[in-house]
Amino acid sequence: MADVKALQQERISIYHDVFDNKIPKRVPVNLSFALEVVAQYGKLNLVEAQWNPEILEEAADKMCRKVYSDVCVFSGTFRFPSFYQALKSRSFVMSSIGFIQHPEVIGMLPEDYDYLIEKPYDCILERVIPRQYEAFDLDDPINTVINFTKSMLAYNNDFMQAGMIIGKMTEKHGYYPGSLFSGGFTEAPFDLLADQLRSFKGISMDIRRMPDKVAAACEALYPIAFKKGLPAKPSKYAPVFIPLHMPTFMREKDFEKLFWPTFKRMVEEYASMGVHCNLFCEDDWTRYLDYLYDLPTDTVLMFEYGDPKLIKEKLGKKHIITGLYPIMNLKTKPTEECVDEAKRYIDILAPGGKYIFGFDKNPLLLDDINLESYCAVAETVRDYGVYSNPGETAGMEFNKEDYKVEPSRKFESKYYKTWDQYKALNPEVSDFGSPKLQGLEEAVFQYIMYLMM
Amino acid sequence: MTDWTHLTEAVGELNEEEVLKILEEFIASNPTEEEAQKVVSACQSGMNIVGERFEAGEYFVGDLIFAGELLNEAIGTLKPVIGSASDKKVGSIVLGTVHGDLHDIGKNIFRSMAEAAGFEVHDLGIDQPVEAFVDKVKQVKPQIVGMSGVLTLALEAMKETIDGLNAEGLRNNVKIIIGGNPVTKEVCEHVGADAWTTNAAEGVKICQGWVN
Repeated sequence: MADVKALQQERISIYHDVFDNKIPKRVPVNLSFALEVVAQYGKLNLVEAQWNPEILEEAADKMCRKVYSDVCVFSGTFRFPSFYQALKSRSFVMSSIGFIQHPEVIGMLPEDYDYLIEKPYDCILERVIPRQYEAFDLDDPINTVINFTKSMLAYNNDFMQAGMIIGKMTEKHGYYPGSLFSGGFTEAPFDLLADQLRSFKGISMDIRRMPDKVAAACEALYPIAFKKGLPAKPSKYAPVFIPLHMPTFMREKDFEKLFWPTFKRMVEEYASMGVHCNLFCEDDWTRYLDYLYDLPTDTVLMFEYGDPKLIKEKLGKKHIITGLYPIMNLKTKPTEECVDEAKRYIDILAPGGKYIFGFDKNPLLLDDINLESYCAVAETVRDYGVYSNPGETAGMEFNKEDYKVEPSRKFESKYYKTWDQYKALNPEVSDFGSPKLQGLEEAVFQYIMYLMM
Repeated sequence: MTDWTHLTEAVGELNEEEVLKILEEFIASNPTEEEAQKVVSACQSGMNIVGERFEAGEYFVGDLIFAGELLNEAIGTLKPVIGSASDKKVGSIVLGTVHGDLHDIGKNIFRSMAEAAGFEVHDLGIDQPVEAFVDKVKQVKPQIVGMSGVLTLALEAMKETIDGLNAEGLRNNVKIIIGGNPVTKEVCEHVGADAWTTNAAEGVKICQGWVN
């Protein structure tokens, strides 16, 4: 038990050092498996495990004993079938093999732009959600209330169950109790518009046909996307996770005009509160490295593809780099080669600190990897990625005072009330109710926007 | 004899307004089927420019999607004057996203570009079981089978699909190309395909090489 606590302390130190601009004792091994992989490892029915996450505990424990990592090896999932099914989602659907995905569906039509720009949250609730979630039917209000309630109860229940397993494993195996996702989760305003509202195809049309409306829509969505990711308790150790989707599919001139301004402002506004972002740079961001350099110091950049040398050279002193190691190696190459490759990545990316080891993406299914190679790589990073100069300063230092953001549009909607607005309508209600009622208001907002991400 | 270079260029530039203006003027001139066929070819040549610019890193996936839509729009506009001359196909492809995967953006781009190049494409859709490929191949006897997938789990599904074609004795009658984000040379060998690509324009070129 004392060993576990000591190990946990070491893990806390190495993660905190990375965010404290210090060289850690060793490179953090940031590896985990999603629910599906763990279910397969435990020979559980994949669909059953997604509906009843509590049955995963034994498999998660077994996986934690098998694989070395500094964070809990079981990471849970973003997508449970229960709450999507209760609302009959069209945008998150289980495929024939039991894997939930986001097919290309359209939640917002081109003619909805003006309303979205005028009243973004109202437009999402009145027009987008009813299109994406068939059981949110405005013509059947009572059943809609029932379906919505079932969905939200399922959402709370299933995340709590998965969270309890993660909590137990974290204590039992002495993992770092935080994560690179622990601050919150949101999307760039442009990605929010593209992914769930207009669709990949729709936004590709709009960029050329109505770029001004796209820009205005991103401005309109900004306060919603910002609020969605805002941590309840800001901390420099708890980044807000923002997966970046569309940029590499766009021309730079469109990216610069339409994607970047609201996104950069969002990351800077979090930075002004002392909060970092963890950006998953999907695909190959090589042509955007200079833009990434301009983001606030100590932004966590999780890369998929790209040249590790070039990335380290351009960004390594300012930002925290993770990702890049190709997970496909673990299927296609012999273990020895995988291990050598891990050393090569460490030799390039670790010097000077600000590096956390991770793969370019997580395996979706156990068949995607050779588990023995995976374990060998993880242990190699732990043993090989040791620094000779721990405690020294690592690169540039982050100061939240460096970031000032112009005030943006306020979040306002008839479907969301601040305490003052609520109190004005219900003057008799006691102020003792404020934290509870406002907490519920926030929880519903968070849940609704989760449906949109 | 009209020179349609400016139309080809407008398609290549993805200048929607200009393309539609040219086509509307053309239709108003009450053209023959033969003339209409030349205009269709000019649009298809424009798609070649789009493919080249994509390969050169000037255009990106969003532009390819737009290009596919622009071509659909163009052909739709020309429909009343094209007639039956356009029915001649350079080859046929059975196409689908393999089972387990619901993604179709890449597949749809490939389909638009293959159709623009004159292929007849039988698109099965997303999350298609092995039997769907097998049955369609038996039915239409294509020269080419195209399999798409974005998630890594699609790779095993591609292998199963190719194994399925093999088991039915159909494998040697077709060329197989796989496409999508996780596809590589190693994956191509592993699943037993003939070619792989992450670039729809290149994929169409490979198919053209097979039928010529």
